[in-house]
Amino acid sequence: MADQLLEQVREAAEGQIDFEGQKLAELLATILLCTVGGISFLYGYFLQDIKLALYIGLGGTALTLALIVPPWPFFNTHPVRWLPVGGVEKQQQAMQGIMVDGQLVG
Amino acid sequence: MHSTIVRGQNVFGFFTSVCFFVAALIAASDLLAPRTPKATVSVKDVQVVRGRPHYYSTKKEEYAVIRFSLSADLSSLFTWNTKQVFVYVSASWPNSTLGEDGKGELVNEAVIWDSIITNPSADHLQNIGPAAMKKLVKSSKGKKIDPSRGKLELKNQKAKYQITSPTGKLAETDNVVLKVHYNVQPWVGVLTWTPQIEFGMWKKVKGGVSKVFKFPALKAKKEAEKKKA
Repeated sequence: MADQLLEQVREAAEGQIDFEGQKLAELLATILLCTVGGISFLYGYFLQDIKLALYIGLGGTALTLALIVPPWPFFNTHPVRWLPVGGVEKQQQAMQGIMVDGQLVG
Repeated sequence: MHSTIVRGQNVFGFFTSVCFFVAALIAASDLLAPRTPKATVSVKDVQVVRGRPHYYSTKKEEYAVIRFSLSADLSSLFTWNTKQVFVYVSASWPNSTLGEDGKGELVNEAVIWDSIITNPSADHLQNIGPAAMKKLVKSSKGKKIDPSRGKLELKNQKAKYQITSPTGKLAETDNVVLKVHYNVQPWVGVLTWTPQIEFGMWKKVKGGVSKVFKFPALKAKKEAEKKKA
């Protein structure tokens, strides 16, 4: 029971996402940060306000972090489907384990 | 990008690159802003007096006490990337003891007055009392940049610093001029001094040098002579 709970907490903290999600996260992070940088410079330059540029840059980065870092559900829409263990019956599956000196351990 | 920590690291890492790039752009944007400062400076009164560099000094030196008028327009130096502008007036004269063949090619230069002008975005950095700060902030309320602060009009201004030379002798020095210098401190980018050459949109200071004058003889001596006469 405690093990299961611990496992859940660990998974939530690790926040793993699937492969497609990783690709998407990488792309989104790059595009968003570049856009934020461009917008902050252009707004700052044309409105001649350096503080505005700073706040746009920091705010945009905070939003990007919020969007990319947590394992949002849309990063997990392509879960990896493993192949079934080939030609092995359920009984035998149960037999799978670590053999030490001909004896099943764990 | 598989786990939270890796995603955090990657996003933050790329953020620092973007920061650097935007900062470089901001610094480069300074080159697009023309700088066309003008200044007129003139000497109003010069005295040379004898004094000690500090209370316990046994050595007496000659100090020049200068009053001057300055009319300057540095408003073009104020852009979105200007933090503050440092303006200073110096007195300079040829060095009679050094230089090749003692002809005095080297120049002595000493600052007699200076001032820091902040852009409204940097008012909080100004080291002044609360009342003066309130007044300063109010003076350009609602403005991000205030080029009007670059307009200086000083009449018969007393020098902040009394100057002397390494020899301690100053009276009757000839070929002295006052010069106006400035120093632009940006939020991002390099510190720039008064340009000695025209650089793109950055022009040299128009004017900014006074007429040649002479440090008079010692004041005390003069009075003694008057008494004799």
